[in-house]
Amino acid sequence: MKDQDEFLKQMENLEVPDVNPSQHQHMVKMAIMNAGRSAALGLWLVIVPCYFLLCVFMYYQFHLNANWFSAMFSTMVQLEKVPYIDYIGPLVLFILPMVCLIINLLSIIHVQVRQLDPERRKVWEMNISIKLKLWNIVLILISLAIMLLFINFAMTENISIKN
Amino acid sequence: MKLNWFTRKGIIYLPVSIIGWVIFAIAFAYAVFTFVDIDKRSHSVSDTLINFVFNLLLIGLGYTLIAYFTEKKPVQDAFEK
Repeated sequence: MKDQDEFLKQMENLEVPDVNPSQHQHMVKMAIMNAGRSAALGLWLVIVPCYFLLCVFMYYQFHLNANWFSAMFSTMVQLEKVPYIDYIGPLVLFILPMVCLIINLLSIIHVQVRQLDPERRKVWEMNISIKLKLWNIVLILISLAIMLLFINFAMTENISIKN
Repeated sequence: MKLNWFTRKGIIYLPVSIIGWVIFAIAFAYAVFTFVDIDKRSHSVSDTLINFVFNLLLIGLGYTLIAYFTEKKPVQDAFEK
């Protein structure tokens, strides 16, 4: 009981540092998502499309007919026959890299919009800060490359069908 | 809702609770079942492995997605320390 009273007294007499939160607000730049978690999930999200593209590349570029491409393609066709997961093809090859791109961008980018001068209401300042996290940036670039490849493929395929 | 079923070590999620271990066991059992099923129909070892790799990646992706949403968050760790 005595110890508790002493402890309470000590806590009451503690000198609290005087911190002005409005000053520190400009310095703390928190990202929306955790960079490590996003990188870990992002790697799994791009690994399947990367494998797909590697197989396609090996098949068409090096004419390496080791059944890699046909095995993967037959698995995709089998999965498309299963009800409720018949959309797995576009999901795995396009939407997952998009999710990877979004979560990794959210984990390294910090955007701040604030009014510079209260008297000039139309003047706003926007600060965009990017954390230089290597793995997140690499995953963003890989996801972008995959998405651009599939968009490019869809566009050229569409044009060739029309012609 | 707090779900502390998995913990992350690098890019691998390890189970830390009974439900986590059950999910891990189901994923592992499904991987083994797929391997055996493919092995029955394949003509060689390489044929089995080629067909199995893509399935294994999909199983790993599914497992990681579940683990990501049910892992022990780093913020919780910081508060508990």
